[in-house]
Amino acid sequence: MFAGPGTVLFLAVVIVPFVYGLYLTFTSWDGVSLSKPFVGLQNFADAFKDTTYWQAMGRTVIYSIFAVILINIVAFLLAYLLTSGVKGQNFFRAGFFVPNLIGGIVLGYVWQFVFNRAFVAIGKALGNAAAVSLLSTPNGAMFCLILVSVWQYAGYMMLIYVAGFMSVSNDVKEAAMIDGCTPSQAMWNVTVPLMRSSFVQCIFLSITRCFVVYDVNLSLTKGEPFGSSVMAAMHVYNQAFTYKNYGLGQAEAVILFLVCAVVGVTQVMVGKKGEVEA
Amino acid sequence: MKRAIALILMLAMVMALSLSGTAYAANKVTLTIFNSKMEIQSQMEEMAEEYMDTHKNVEVEVYYSSDTVAAHMSTKYASKDPYVLAMVDAKDIFSLGPDHALDQTGEPWVAETTQAISVDGKVLGFPFCVEARGILYNADAIEKIIGEAFDPAAYKTTAEFSALCDKLVAGGMEGPTGLQKEDWSLGAHFMQEVYEMHDDPDAFIAGIKDGSVKLAEDNVFNALMDTFDVLKANNWMKAAPLSAVREDTEMNLAQGKIAFKFGGNWDWSDIKDFDPAENMGMMPVPSDLEGYNEKLVGGGSKYFFIDNSVSEEQQAAAKEFLNWLVFEEDGQNFLVNTCALVPAFGNITLPVSDPLGASVKQYVDAGAMIADYRYAPDDHYAKVGISFQKYLADQIDRAGLADEITAYWATAEVGAH
Repeated sequence: MFAGPGTVLFLAVVIVPFVYGLYLTFTSWDGVSLSKPFVGLQNFADAFKDTTYWQAMGRTVIYSIFAVILINIVAFLLAYLLTSGVKGQNFFRAGFFVPNLIGGIVLGYVWQFVFNRAFVAIGKALGNAAAVSLLSTPNGAMFCLILVSVWQYAGYMMLIYVAGFMSVSNDVKEAAMIDGCTPSQAMWNVTVPLMRSSFVQCIFLSITRCFVVYDVNLSLTKGEPFGSSVMAAMHVYNQAFTYKNYGLGQAEAVILFLVCAVVGVTQVMVGKKGEVEA
Repeated sequence: MKRAIALILMLAMVMALSLSGTAYAANKVTLTIFNSKMEIQSQMEEMAEEYMDTHKNVEVEVYYSSDTVAAHMSTKYASKDPYVLAMVDAKDIFSLGPDHALDQTGEPWVAETTQAISVDGKVLGFPFCVEARGILYNADAIEKIIGEAFDPAAYKTTAEFSALCDKLVAGGMEGPTGLQKEDWSLGAHFMQEVYEMHDDPDAFIAGIKDGSVKLAEDNVFNALMDTFDVLKANNWMKAAPLSAVREDTEMNLAQGKIAFKFGGNWDWSDIKDFDPAENMGMMPVPSDLEGYNEKLVGGGSKYFFIDNSVSEEQQAAAKEFLNWLVFEEDGQNFLVNTCALVPAFGNITLPVSDPLGASVKQYVDAGAMIADYRYAPDDHYAKVGISFQKYLADQIDRAGLADEITAYWATAEVGAH
């Protein structure tokens, strides 16, 4: 009974829209007209032929690989530093978490200003008169996206790693040291395996978020320059709403969801297998 | 017992929701207005406050979206949450109107304008203003360097315009022109001039589609691209044209650091905040296309339509608002002075307050206007804009640009009209 309201809400805001969305993939609806002609699997066939979509998808994969690795390395190192007893570590933990509290849209605009104005001004001040914004080249824009994502999520993942570090009791570490481990050996052979679940969680969260990145993409690069930084989610949005191919966009969204789900679930299954307990 | 409590709680929530909804509606009619002119958003909000002071029974809510108009309207209609009154582009009236717009035939304002949009004999679109594209100039900055009065009519051809730019550069103005990097400026505004400067744009596009017109060899395309090359070569952001910020370009124009910008009279609403030079105006895009290089391109711009699915009270409030804009002193003052727009209604005689609008009005009055092409598909500005951005950043050459645009048209269909 107490699950009732929750179930109703879940049905209303997740399941029903999802099923309705699936239905729309079988229509050639343009998003505004009153008629929704049924076209069967045509949208999925078109989605597989849509080269810009697959380019955007490829770009998203590359972006995700770099971003996920960097986010987790940075987050892990921060967590390590901030559990080793640095003075004011609680303050720093809060500080590194703050970027995550700023919404992606605002974050994107702030960094756009930094890349377009601040860095260019610094470059000019340092004597490089031809300094241009990183955002004006395709590779530069990609680099900026990855950098901002790392900055945004590292603090969040750091908190999970901090919890992981704290969950490993000092007893096992001391035992390892007494048995002759160096601190770094104790780290790699005892602490890290014991906090494996933190890694699984963090990597899962960062993969799923990177795959469907939209807000930072929109406000930082808007897909520019010349459409070279359009990620899969943005392409889906454009396809559905800007180009008015709602059915096709929805079909591409479903494919994106499946890819994201397969990657995420595989990673969790592989990660869970090797989990150990003290 | 637990079951009963949970039920009661749920009922209470539902009741509270529906009660708050009806209680609100009983007192006032909510008039939601979608504004798609970013530059007048704060003016719109202030106007809404004042409008509510004189129209006590109406609650006006003004919304803006940074999304493109068609995309934003799709999201609203996909979620079945339309605005009562929405300001959209002309092409959106053709795509949304037949299904969603209220027929306004017989409204008093219809008789006062030539720019209303009708589909199948029904008046669906209310023209908010007249806008035109061309080259914006800062005459003070030019005269300071060339030492004589600036007469736009003396720079009609690409060669004349290019020579003037060279003179300005020699006189110390590093980059005399400004080009926006936005896809709508390049794809929707510049490229569409190519269609518009053909006598029959539809036939020209059909020719590109079936291959009977080779865009790369088309004389209008080449003439305008020659001009584009001059603008590009003299661009103050030449080193990084794709990081040009619109407001920076407008500020530089206003203050005379640059002399020209491709744009339209809508730029004034930004320019006026940058302490602009006294003598500014708009001139046609120079080119070797005789006749066309003496005219601006434009027409009615930004259309209001009333949604046909909202309540009758809301529809009535929206109609009253539109007539207020056209016939009441406050409404006219809002259009012409507060928003600095060129009105599309013959009965509004207030003098146009800004120099760019005054230029437009001059060309309109002289009949020197080329009608803008309104039937480009929804993805035209974005996809052609991307190709143009590549050209602007030297990623492709003119032949490559022509190829990409031709490839775009191979699958694109012009809107119904």
